[in-house]
Amino acid sequence: RAMSIILLVYSTLTKMATHLYKDTHTNNYKDEEKADSNDPEEMFQNIQIQKEIIANIRSRPWPMRQKLRALRQAKEIVLKYEGRLTRTRGYQAAGAELLRKFSRLAYNVVVLFIPWEVRIKKIESHFGSGVASYFIFLRWLFGINIVLTIMTGAFVILPELLAGAPFGTTASKTIPKEHLSSAQDLDTIWSLGGYLQYSVLFYGYYGRDRKIGKAGYRLPLAYFLVGMAVFASSFIILLRRMAKNSQLSFASASDENYTFCWRVFCAWDYLIGNPEAAESKAAAIVNNIREAIVEEQEKKKDKSLAVMISLRILANILVLLSLAGSIYIIYFVVERSQDLEKVKLELSLWEKNEVSVVVSLITMIAPSAFELIAQLEMYHPRTTLRFQLARVLVLYLGNLYSLIIALLDKVNTMSLNGTMSAATVIDATTFQATIAFPVEQNLSTIVPDILDKKNQTLSPGLGLEENQTKLMSVLTVNKTGLNVQRREQDQCWETYVGQEMLKLSIIDMIFTVASILLIDFFRGLFVRYLSDCWCWDLESKFPEYGEFKIAENVLHLIYNQGMIWMGAFFSPCLPAFNVLKLIGLMYLRSWAVLTCNVPHQQVFRASRSNNFYLAMLLFMLFLCMLPTIVAIARYRPSLTCGPFSGQEKIYDIISETIDADFPLWFGTVMSYVTSPVVVLPALLLLFMLIYYLQSIARSLKFTNHQLRMQLQTVSRISMYFLCLISCFFMFTARLQTKEGSNKKTEQESDHTSQESSVRSTSPRRNGSVTNFESPVNRVSSIKTISQPASRTEVNKTTATSHNPGGPILQKHKLEQSANRHPGILQSGAIGACRSKSYHHVAYNPSGKYAENAHSDPIFRKGIRPVSAEAMGGGSTQNFMSRRGHTTRYVIVNEHDARKKLMRSSVRIPRHYRIEEPGEIVELYPRNIKRYVCRTPQRSYPPHFAEEEDEEGMGLRRDSFSQRHRPRSLSDLNQPARFYIGDKVDSQLALAKDLAKVRYGMYEDDYEIEWEDLAPHAHARAKVKGVEHIKVKTKCKNEPSLSESDSASIASSSDQQNSSTDQYIQVIHNKEKYLKPAGKLMKKKSKTTTDLNISGSSDLICSNV
Amino acid sequence: MGNKQTIFTDEQLDAYQDCTFFTRKEILRLHGRYHELAPNLVPMDYTNDPDVKLPLQLIINMPELKENPFKQRIVEAFSEDGQGNLSFNDFVDMFSVLSEMAPRELKAIYAFKIYDFNTDNFICKSDLEQTLNKLTRDELAAEEVNLVCEKAIEEADLDGDGKLAFTDFENMISRAPDFLSTFHIRI
Repeated sequence: RAMSIILLVYSTLTKMATHLYKDTHTNNYKDEEKADSNDPEEMFQNIQIQKEIIANIRSRPWPMRQKLRALRQAKEIVLKYEGRLTRTRGYQAAGAELLRKFSRLAYNVVVLFIPWEVRIKKIESHFGSGVASYFIFLRWLFGINIVLTIMTGAFVILPELLAGAPFGTTASKTIPKEHLSSAQDLDTIWSLGGYLQYSVLFYGYYGRDRKIGKAGYRLPLAYFLVGMAVFASSFIILLRRMAKNSQLSFASASDENYTFCWRVFCAWDYLIGNPEAAESKAAAIVNNIREAIVEEQEKKKDKSLAVMISLRILANILVLLSLAGSIYIIYFVVERSQDLEKVKLELSLWEKNEVSVVVSLITMIAPSAFELIAQLEMYHPRTTLRFQLARVLVLYLGNLYSLIIALLDKVNTMSLNGTMSAATVIDATTFQATIAFPVEQNLSTIVPDILDKKNQTLSPGLGLEENQTKLMSVLTVNKTGLNVQRREQDQCWETYVGQEMLKLSIIDMIFTVASILLIDFFRGLFVRYLSDCWCWDLESKFPEYGEFKIAENVLHLIYNQGMIWMGAFFSPCLPAFNVLKLIGLMYLRSWAVLTCNVPHQQVFRASRSNNFYLAMLLFMLFLCMLPTIVAIARYRPSLTCGPFSGQEKIYDIISETIDADFPLWFGTVMSYVTSPVVVLPALLLLFMLIYYLQSIARSLKFTNHQLRMQLQTVSRISMYFLCLISCFFMFTARLQTKEGSNKKTEQESDHTSQESSVRSTSPRRNGSVTNFESPVNRVSSIKTISQPASRTEVNKTTATSHNPGGPILQKHKLEQSANRHPGILQSGAIGACRSKSYHHVAYNPSGKYAENAHSDPIFRKGIRPVSAEAMGGGSTQNFMSRRGHTTRYVIVNEHDARKKLMRSSVRIPRHYRIEEPGEIVELYPRNIKRYVCRTPQRSYPPHFAEEEDEEGMGLRRDSFSQRHRPRSLSDLNQPARFYIGDKVDSQLALAKDLAKVRYGMYEDDYEIEWEDLAPHAHARAKVKGVEHIKVKTKCKNEPSLSESDSASIASSSDQQNSSTDQYIQVIHNKEKYLKPAGKLMKKKSKTTTDLNISGSSDLICSNV
Repeated sequence: MGNKQTIFTDEQLDAYQDCTFFTRKEILRLHGRYHELAPNLVPMDYTNDPDVKLPLQLIINMPELKENPFKQRIVEAFSEDGQGNLSFNDFVDMFSVLSEMAPRELKAIYAFKIYDFNTDNFICKSDLEQTLNKLTRDELAAEEVNLVCEKAIEEADLDGDGKLAFTDFENMISRAPDFLSTFHIRI
């Protein structure tokens, strides 16, 4: 199995490597490629890729300078190539560019109009994201209300104002005479009577004409549709938002197995910018962590269980009682106000407003009461918060529901009264006559219902007969006692409900303001200024400063929004009013929070609560929609007012419109569609669809889980493949780069785009190393040997100067991490080792991401580094001359890795023995391909010069980076520097960027792997002999320069260190291997000094 | 732009908008903030890309960063030289990554850098200890810190090497519900 995996990995790697090699090749031969690539398709692709780069560049973890340069480059290329494409494409591109510019401009403008950005930012910086989430939620609600306001305003209110019958023309639009005198009184206005009652604010004002104005606007239809659209749009906005949120927090579905990590790494809120908030946040984090520790140490600790349980039961009973009490009170108040209205003609201010006042009072007081009760329960704070939220939500819902039920109950009586009075106006002599009257045929159906109600409310003891008579008497009393016209107009129950809801909303606003002032502001003032002359510390003991209770405040917002939804149908201006209310609330709250609040200790988690709040809002929306729907579906619209007066049911407007205004066929189609023949199958289909989607979701969840498991195993396995992969990569890349120089023409055909951008970025990368760039370019073109040679001399000098530093560092390193070295030494060429690790780095992410099915750009990122690394490998091929040796190392490494995997250490020695002879190539069929490639490479002497150059550079770089190590600089930057060198030839700056971040991390992974390998290496001490030889072969070139250094290292370091062993052996065997080395040197037709340089660099590299 | 001094050319602004998550106005504001930090060092005219770097000490005294326990690390992680000297480019980059719009993956990469105190590309125990001590202002006892570190590593370490590599970290952080909302600075 392991073998098969290896094979698989190998094949993929070679594939990737070839790609990379092509990439890099094109990179190097940019000019030729540019000239040659006339194929529009290819250019188009190139441009596409460049564009992708432009689009995604902001999400790349590169430093800004690099991004800017890459961007510029990509843009230049796009610009350059685009002209060459066909004209249409050019236009397309121009259009797209224009569109992009425009959309950016639009975005810039739109952002300006996002309200309260600065304010929220300020709050965030003071209190962190938790408190800010309240304000963001508020702003979002504000947005929803704006949408609703626009809808109602544009389609209902404005048409009515512009084209509807003006005020005073019809009965429903005039204030009755006996009210006219008091219509402008403050208390009338206050209770939304008088002029307000007969205005566009309420349902009753809207005319019943089917078409208004010259254009024939169908107001009743619009009214109904807008009423429905309010709910529909709210639903859509809400659900979309929730879907977006849940996408963002896709991972939060997973089980919480990172308690500690999250508490450490995600605890700090980076938004906090206020010392006090920072302090309390730190305290909260400490608490949080301690809590986790305690939970961890003793999962459960229950003391005095009986007491606790009884306390909790008591608490729940109390809560239930208060809930029931609040519901009863509301119902009672509504009933009372109803009765009062019947008895009294003029109501006092209190009597008019008592319902809303009582409801608001309850919503203010009860949550605090719940909080007190919750202290009895002694739950975990988080559980307490959840209980509290649930209870408050139930309370709010209970309030709203009892209110609306009481109101609808009243509506029942009103509609009865209305119908009866209407009937009595015409003929009130006998009850029989009323029923018989054609206008009120439906009355007979309504009456029994109403009679039942009446039965309960008025005279429970009476029978039906009696009840009827009683009813009659009431009616006659009504008729005689009150003005018929007044009753007619008052009977507009829709207006009444709308009035109540608006009143409730207003009173709620007043109470909110009052509570903010009282509970927060004055308390804050009191605490602040009186604490000096008080007998105890006010600030830390009893009153303290008010806390900002996010959860409750959010719930209050939800409740508020619920009221709006409930009343929106009956009072079209309610959303507009709510907009104003929310604006006021925003300013007041933010002011209060900044001046007199301290952040809540237990912050309900912002991100998760986001969807939690939304879910509650959705729940609220649904529950608030229900009464409206019931009212629309069950109740008969008022006879004398409103757009639907005279209709049987409100929704009749639809069928009426279909009948009257649509062609006949549409009506028949509609009748078919709404017939059970269609509806039932449709319902069935919906159910099936739901079931299907649910099962899909379940299976996806399952796959998700599976993938996660796989990911874990893969990440474990991938570690073992680290070295293997890296070796492969280095090797293939090396071969291919070599090959590449031969076959430039081939590669031009592919992957032009990426490289071009890459090309551009590399120059800047080089920065200080600019002088090296030129040689790099020449690697491919192989101009003259003399030039490189001169350069190598320069390098030589640098190398020598750096040399002393290197060994010292090496020593240091050796002592520090003795066991690490065996592994590294095993790997042989350490320069290669480094680069290998990079390969691995590069490779690993890509693999991972492939698994993760991450987004495209990342994947590409993953690959690109590989190419860079591959090039790095190319550059570290410094040992071209000694190519045979390097290959050998690679093989050894491979076998090591495999060995380890297969745990068959017995076989290994044999391998080594086989390898020893020199040309191992043939022995390993799997590798043959590469070797075949290799032979031609050897025949290119000119490269050596280049390579040596690079080596020198590499050396320099190495020492450079090493010197950096002790400093506190981030390692991540070092690698970058290192890369520069590597990439000088490849110029894959892009790759570098990613590598910088990622590879840096992986590099160490890699080293760990080697550590793991170390024991094995030790165990196979004899085997090492063979390895040593190889190492020595590498090292033998060094002696002239660094012999003494290495010797000193050997002496200073422990004998047990396999690394030191190696060095010692190197010294011992030097003479033996000097000969082959000499041969090699000759072969290369190079100066020995060059070789020496390379050797010394090797040594240094090996210890890096 | 009228008689206003030009800070950036349009191309520069466009490029910045392409490379960051900011709008034009925000970039100008960022420049304003950057300029504020050292009015005599930072020129108003950025059209020719002056090579100006502000030292760490100046940056971490910004109100946005002042209270952050990891301010030093943040600035270091975003500086090109790793020493905390920020050019305007780095400065913009920093706030871009920390902005609301930046994707989780990008944030994770830099978060890892920030928490990797000794810059060895692993979050090892000592990194975690430092993180904790900064986070809690040294309130926790040594044993507690020790326990938490061990637990945290145990939780997130997939490959069992006793420290958190980037993969481990990313894996862990990508599930964290709070990460996106808290790893963000508004400027």
